This record gives sequence, C-alpha cells and structure tokens, in this order.
Amino acid sequence: MQVLKSALLAGARLAAAAVVGLAITSAAMAQSAADRAVEAAKKYSGQTITIVWEAGLQSLDPLNFSGPKWEKLTGVKIKVIEVPTAEMFTKILQEHRAGSGAYDALNVIPSWMPDLAAAGALEPLDSWIDKFGYRDELKDIAPVFRDNWMKVGSKIFGLPDDGDVFIMYYRKDIFADPALRAAFKGKFNREMDVPKTWPDFAEVGAFLTEKLGPKTYGAAFFRDAPYGQFMFQERFRNEGGKFFDADTMKATVNSDIGVKALAGMKAENKFMPPGVETWGFVENLAAFASGQTAMTISWPPYGRWTAGYGTDEKVMSWVPKTQIAGKVGYALPPGGHPELAAGFSLSVASGSKNKEAAYLFIQWLNSREISTERVQIPYTLRDPFRENHYSDPVYLSRWPDAKDYLATLKLASVSGLLDLSIIQTDKYEEALRQGISRLWAGDDPKAIADKIASQWDAITQKVGVEKQKAAYADWAGKSAAYPH
Amino acid sequence: MSAKSNARHRRQRAVLALRYLAVLGLLIFFLFPVYWLLSISFKTADEIFASPPVWVPSSLQLNNYLVLFKDGDAVTVWNSLVTAGASTVLATIIGGLCAYSLARFRTGGNGLASWILSQRMVPPIAVVFPVFLLYVWFGWIDSYFGLILLYAAFNLPYVIWVMRGYIQDIPIELEEAALVDGCTRWQVLWMIVLPMARAGLFATAVFAFVFAWNDFLFALVLTRTEVTTFPVQVTHYFGGQSNFWAKIAAMSVLGTLPVFAIVVVFQRFLVRGISMGAVKG
Amino acid sequence: MTLPDHAPVRHKRKRQAFPLVLVGPAVFMLLLVGLFPLIYSVIVSFQGLTMTDEDTSFQGIANYAQLFHDQRLWESIFHTVLITVIALPLELVFGLMMALLLLEPIRGRQVFVALLVLPTMISPIVAGATWRLLFDNHFGPLNQIIGWIAGHPTPLLWTVVPDLVYPSILICEIWQWTPFMFLLLLAALSGVDRSAGEAAEIDGASYWQRLWHIELPSIAPVMTVAILIRALDLARVFDVVWALTKGGPGTMTETVSIYAYVQGFQQFETSYTAAISFLIIALLSVLVAAAVRKVEFVR
Repeated sequence: MQVLKSALLAGARLAAAAVVGLAITSAAMAQSAADRAVEAAKKYSGQTITIVWEAGLQSLDPLNFSGPKWEKLTGVKIKVIEVPTAEMFTKILQEHRAGSGAYDALNVIPSWMPDLAAAGALEPLDSWIDKFGYRDELKDIAPVFRDNWMKVGSKIFGLPDDGDVFIMYYRKDIFADPALRAAFKGKFNREMDVPKTWPDFAEVGAFLTEKLGPKTYGAAFFRDAPYGQFMFQERFRNEGGKFFDADTMKATVNSDIGVKALAGMKAENKFMPPGVETWGFVENLAAFASGQTAMTISWPPYGRWTAGYGTDEKVMSWVPKTQIAGKVGYALPPGGHPELAAGFSLSVASGSKNKEAAYLFIQWLNSREISTERVQIPYTLRDPFRENHYSDPVYLSRWPDAKDYLATLKLASVSGLLDLSIIQTDKYEEALRQGISRLWAGDDPKAIADKIASQWDAITQKVGVEKQKAAYADWAGKSAAYPH
Repeated sequence: MSAKSNARHRRQRAVLALRYLAVLGLLIFFLFPVYWLLSISFKTADEIFASPPVWVPSSLQLNNYLVLFKDGDAVTVWNSLVTAGASTVLATIIGGLCAYSLARFRTGGNGLASWILSQRMVPPIAVVFPVFLLYVWFGWIDSYFGLILLYAAFNLPYVIWVMRGYIQDIPIELEEAALVDGCTRWQVLWMIVLPMARAGLFATAVFAFVFAWNDFLFALVLTRTEVTTFPVQVTHYFGGQSNFWAKIAAMSVLGTLPVFAIVVVFQRFLVRGISMGAVKG
Repeated sequence: MTLPDHAPVRHKRKRQAFPLVLVGPAVFMLLLVGLFPLIYSVIVSFQGLTMTDEDTSFQGIANYAQLFHDQRLWESIFHTVLITVIALPLELVFGLMMALLLLEPIRGRQVFVALLVLPTMISPIVAGATWRLLFDNHFGPLNQIIGWIAGHPTPLLWTVVPDLVYPSILICEIWQWTPFMFLLLLAALSGVDRSAGEAAEIDGASYWQRLWHIELPSIAPVMTVAILIRALDLARVFDVVWALTKGGPGTMTETVSIYAYVQGFQQFETSYTAAISFLIIALLSVLVAAAVRKVEFVR
C-alpha cells in the first residue's frame, strides 16, 4: 500500500513536472530565437554595435538589410566595418592585441577559429546560447557546418552563418548542342558530358575554346591568389593528396600530386580568356554571365545571379547582368568533393565592451527565421546553411531551376572538404597564396611546390612539431578533411 | 629686317612651338591619371566594367559619392581633417617656439639641431612598430589623441627646420629694440616675431598638413574604426569579392581635393615648403 | 653658414630659462614618440614574443642572429635598393629636363608648374590605387592605348607578370616624384646668376657647354640634397607597392618596409620585427647622417 502510494505520488510529481515543463517549453515555443534576441536587446537601445564584415558585396547585408532592420526592432545601431578578406584575420588579431575594444561582433572564417580562440580574441558563446535559448535552432544547421565550424575544443566560439562551397556552373545549351556533341564524340570517342575529373575538364575545356573561341571560352576560374589557393586545396585533395605526413608532420604538399595539380592549373589557363590570372570574383562572374565562358567554379551566389534572380535591385546595378538566365546547369566540381571554401561564422570579440548586445545581434542574424530571409536577399552573398534553407518552399520557387540549385548545394555540403585548419593556418595559407602568384608569374610548378613545402616545414618547426602534429591529427580526423 | 635675323626669328618660333608641344606632352602624362581617377568616380557600373574602357562618363552622376556619404564612409575624410588639422596646429605652435629658440639662442648648439633633423629622416617603418607597442601599452590605439600626437611629433622636425630658416631671415633689430623698451620675451614673440613670421608659419603649416593628410602606414596600424583616415579607407575597397572601383575612385577624389585646393592657393610657397627649406624659394 | 649669436646680451640670467622653455615641449614630444618606443623595442628585440607566445624571457641575440639567415629579408632589401637605383636617376634626369624646359619664360608657366606638381601632392596610396586602375588588363586604358599603337589587342598583365611588375611600380613612382625633382631644380636653376652664362654665350659656348660647365655645377648642392631626400623616401617605399602588388607576385616586389609590416602586423613576430627595425635604422644611418650634414650645409 505504502509502496503504491509513494509510487502514485511520484507519478503525480512526474506528471506535474511534465506539465510545468511543457508550459515552459510552449512559452518558449511561442517565441522564436529571433524574437527572444529582439526582446532581450531592447534594453541596449540607443547603443551601437560594431561588426566586422567582409568588404564589398557581403557587407550589403548588414548595411542595407539586417542592420537597419535590427535598429528598427531594437533601437540598437549597427556599424559595419568592412575589411578585405585577406586582412580580416590580421585586423581582428591586431585589434585584440591593441585592446581598444573597437570591434563587438565578428565574421570569422572558421579555419582561423582555433588560432583566434587560442589567442583569446573570441568569447565563448555557450552561456548566452543557454540563456537565450538558442541550442535547439543550432541543431538544424547542416551537419558539415554545425560539426566543424562552431567549436574549438568543447566550447562554441562561432555560429556557422554561410554555407560556402564551390559549385561548378555550366552552360546547359552548349553541352546539349548536337553539333558540338557530335564533333566531340568524333574526336574523343566519348560523349561530351559535364566533366567529372580534371583530365576530363582539360579536354572538354580546350575543345570548347577551340570550337567557340574567342567569343566563348571553354572555361575560366578566379585565379587571383587568395581564391586560387582554395582551388588548389580542393584539387590537391580530390586527386588524392595529403597536406602532411601524419607521423613526421613533414609537408607533403610537394608530392607528385601537388606538382601535378599546380601544373594542371597552369596548363588550363591556355584555353581560358587572356588575363584570367588576375581574375577575382567579379571578373569571373562578368565573363560567365555575359556568355564568355562555358564553365566556371565558384561560390553559390553565381547560381542565383546568372539565373537573373534579383539582379534588378538597384544595389546590384554594378554586378554584371546575366545574359544566360535559364541556361545554367549546376554540378559538383571535378573530383566530386567541393571545397567548403572560407565560409563565415559569427563570433563575439573578447575585447568588446558590449558583448551581450553583440551576441544578441548575431543570434538574431543566425536564427532560423532571419537567416532564411538573409540567404535569399538577392544582393547578399550568404548561402544556404540550414536544413530548412535547402527545402524552403519560397526559395525553391525563386527561379525555374532553383530546385536543382538547392539540391546541388545540399549535395555539396555533404561531400564537401574543409579548408586546412591547424595552428597558425594563415601562415600556411599565405605560403600557398605566394605559390599561386608565382605560378602565374611563370615559375616551375615543382620549384613552387618545393618552396611551399619548405615554408610549411619552417612554420611547423616554429610552432613546434609535436604541437602541430596534434592539431593536424585533430583536423585530419574530421570526416570532411579528406575525401573518403 | 635682315635675312639673318629673320631666320633666327623663325628658329626661335620653332623652338617655342616645340617647347609648347613638350609641355603639352608632360601635362598629358602627369594629368591623365588624375583625369582617369576623376572620370571613374562619375562612371556608372556599366561604364566602369566596360572593355574596352569608356573614356568619358556619359553624365556627371554623383551616385558613387552619395554612397560614400550614405554608408558613412565619407566620415574618414573628416577624420583625416581632424587629425591632420589638429596635429598641424600643435606641431606649428610647439615647433615654431622651438625653432625660435634654436634660431635666436642656438639652444643645444648644432647637436640638438642635427638630432631633431635626423628624427625626420628615420624611416616610418622602423618607428611604427615600437610606436604600436607603446600605444597598446597606453591604450591610445584608434583614438584621435594618439594619431594627432603622432602626426604632430612626426612633423615637428620639419616645422622646426623650416621655421628656423624663416626666423633667421627676420632682422633681429626690432626684437632688440622692443626688449630695450621693456617688453618681456613673450611679448616680443607675440607682437614682433609672430607677425613677421606669419607667412613662413603658414607655408610650413600647409606642408605639415599635407604630410599628415597623406600618411598611410601609421594610420593603417594605429586606427581601427573610430579614426580611420581616408587613405586607409581607400585600401579597404581592394579585395573582397571585387575591387570596388567606383568607391576607390570617389573616395580618392574626396581625399585629394583638399590637397589640390591647397596647391592651387599656396603654390608660391611650394618650393620652400617641399624641400625642407633646403632651397630658398 | 654659421650665424653669429644674435641674441642680445642683456637680461642674461632670465635668458637661460627662456630658450629651454621654448625647446622643452618639442623635445619632450620627440622623445616620447621617437626615442621612448625605440628603447622599449630594444628590450622587446631581445625577447621571444610572437602571435601566440607571450614569452618575455631574455633570448640573447637570437632575433638578431636570425636576421642573417633570413633570405626573404635580404631579398626585400635588394628589391628596395633595386627600385631606388633605377627610379632615382630617372627622376633626376627627367626632373632636370622638365626644369630646363620651363626655365626660360613661357606664357602660362605658373599654371603649368602648378599643374605638373599635382602628382607629388597626392597621397601615395591614392597614386598607387590610380595606377592600379590604369594598369588593369581588362578595364584599364593603358593596354588599350598600347593596343592602338601595336595594332592588335595587348592584354598585358602589369601587376602579375614578373617582367612587368617592376616597370609598373617604377612608372608610378616616377610619375609621382619626378615633379618633386622638377620643382626643386627649377627653383635652383632660377637662382643661378645669369651673367656668367651670358658671358660664355658671347664667347661662343653652346647651350650644352654652358649647362654642363656653369649651370649644373652651381645647382650641384641642391641636387645633392634632392637626391638624398628622395633616396631616404625610396628606402622606405611602402604605399605605392602596397597598392599595386602588395609585394607580389610571391615576394617578388616585397620591399623592406613591406616585409617589416608583414612580419610585425600580419605574422605577429613581435620580437623579430623589433630586430628588423634596428637593422633598417643601422643600414640607413649612414644615409641619414649624410643627409643631415648636407641639408645643414646648403642652408
């Protein structure tokens, strides 16, 4: 009896707890993470939050959309500090060293996060995430970003905010052209398909340039060193390369595979438009959008703009107008494992004098509700990174091929490769950047690869071989570090 | 008129024509880049990204400038104005007094004068790093105060050197007479020396201003957000997804106009100012 | 050039404080921003501070020893010297030619001079940015003009190809600083006493003979100063290269200023950069000493 009674009582308690719990949850459910952030931020009304953002188009998001909207909702002003990508790491660390508290919130390229966290420049976000109920929404960020772009050690230092990945864009009409296909078959004795390997790509690219040039070239990429560096990382690993010997930490970037990748990149320039060596994001986009090139590889915004989505916006006036809307196909780049190149996570600067307000802004930006809007702003460069972004019904209907686009992006997020991220990553990348610019300057690929390797070894020596070995093992242990 | 002088006359005219031609060529070479910068600042995106390039913008649309004001980037010109302006005033006052002392009393002898001059010649890159460490220590990074102090200090040797020359050229008899009449040293400075040195002071200040205005390295290292100056802002537009040519051009023009105005207004001071007073203009 | 001590002899006692009061603030400021940081960085240069390491223990001369093994550093010094030895003579010769061209009266001379001097007044970073726009292989006018002359399109990659990066830096440098030389030399030439030249002309000396034997020798001191000032400026060249190539391709155009910046502010090799700073000062001190003497002499 007694037993039964206590069991009943316990049951009742449980039930009561469940009811209370439900009530709390539903109260929370009534409010989204975005709303919670807005509510909590109202007490900071009248203050200003500075946020470091990549210079150029990226900054139009906080300048024209999210900044003004946040100010309207909360009264908190947003000041955007535009910094060129190549200098973001430097500036953030310099500022941390200087300690003037000039930056509140930051855009951080995830591969730098370990360094910035180790230097103490970033603030751990865990306590705010709990305080403002954000854990649930973090869960539906696509796995590759969620699992790799958020934490250093066991602490959360950044909210993954940009599903960057390299996609191949190709002209469907050119690849479907019967005459071209027949000619290609005649020459190579196989169908002219969208290239799946790099040798494939070289053949198709050269063939198309030969047939259609100089009006249309087979392909062009952005070759400028900061971008070319990512392309190399991708290609090197797709061909089977490993950055280091895991036992000795000796750089193996100058293996035959590394040399071949560099030589291949150089050789392809021959069928690309003259001057391609200097091309960056916009030059390459301009060429593809105007029909000058049949294939290119780039970040996701190309897909939206070449479809003509939103390019009538006034702020987009300087972006080259598409003349190929409806003719663009999407595919994974040769090798099938695209680079999750750069990307951004949102962080709070440890030197900020207004950390909580800064956090609230980035939670709001990153929330399901607001991020779904942000990845669809025509002029933004933020790309889908949450599960619901890939399946958002509005997004799927944005242009006729949008479903193919989103499907390819989702596929890419699954098979994508992470940028190298160890201790002092920026120095290793700088060696790569220098190598790429030497490649365009005409140096021998083997000599370049050897030089990169010797620079890498020198950096490793300085960092400490054992220390770096551990960091590398940690990184290489991730499923998205190398193709598998 | 004799045939000989006629021939000579013709030759002189030919030489003159050639000289004008050469001057024209020089003007084109030296001014075309300036024109190009100006023209880009008025071009629309389509015109900027046209290949082959468009040489004359279709209209004088001011959009590229308006964007700078709308987004608040134009405030960097104001920052330049404040830092260059305040540091110039500071350097001119402190430097002018020091120069007077050096010129009239030979304070510190040649040693001090040479030491001051040598400060001017130390390469900024050798100083900027130590200064950065110092500023971090004092918490002066990204503050008007820090930048003003630095520019003032950096301009001091220049101001002192040039002003010393100007003051030496002022006849001393007036000062002596005033002293005999019972004026204090400060009164002499204020009532006799200042009015006579005013032109020189002005010319020196103009150049000190231009040097501070054009600085890039110190501003790059010592500013973040609050006091970013315009040259640093210009470089912010490089890179990213593209070079924002319209912004680069418009910001450059905004930052160059004040200096051009100065050149036009003060061109008679140019020579002496530019050469640290080494050559009397 | 030594001036007699003009200071009045009266009020001797009061006078001693007054000059020092006038000099005080300036000297204090120069010490604060000039000397004090240098002393501080002497200390740092013997430590082991890096981006991640806050090691302040005494490291001996490790950082200075490293200077001698740092190939990139010596290359950057070589690049700086290379730019200097090419740009300086060209600026001098072109500046002189311009000065001679505008020495004789010509209508509109004042306006011409003011216009020609504009490049020198522009911020070097703006000058670099401007030329970068001009050099652009696709949207810049320079390749277009060359194409007209060549008769076919010439997509030259000015800031990428090794054979062209130095020419592009030099063109920009010369564009900006030839007017400086011009202005100084014009002023100096205008000050040359005409009578000797006129006498020589009557004796049948040609224009070039007069130039070589009379005018150039009399402006030699000014030329020396101009060369020294420019040499010191070129030794620190940073802005223009930064805007045009950032030291690339690779480190092909990296000057010593850029290298020091990269080490100090991008790689955060704090202590090592302090050592580099002192190397630069040591290397330049000869030049600085010469310049100080000359400038004083000409005054």
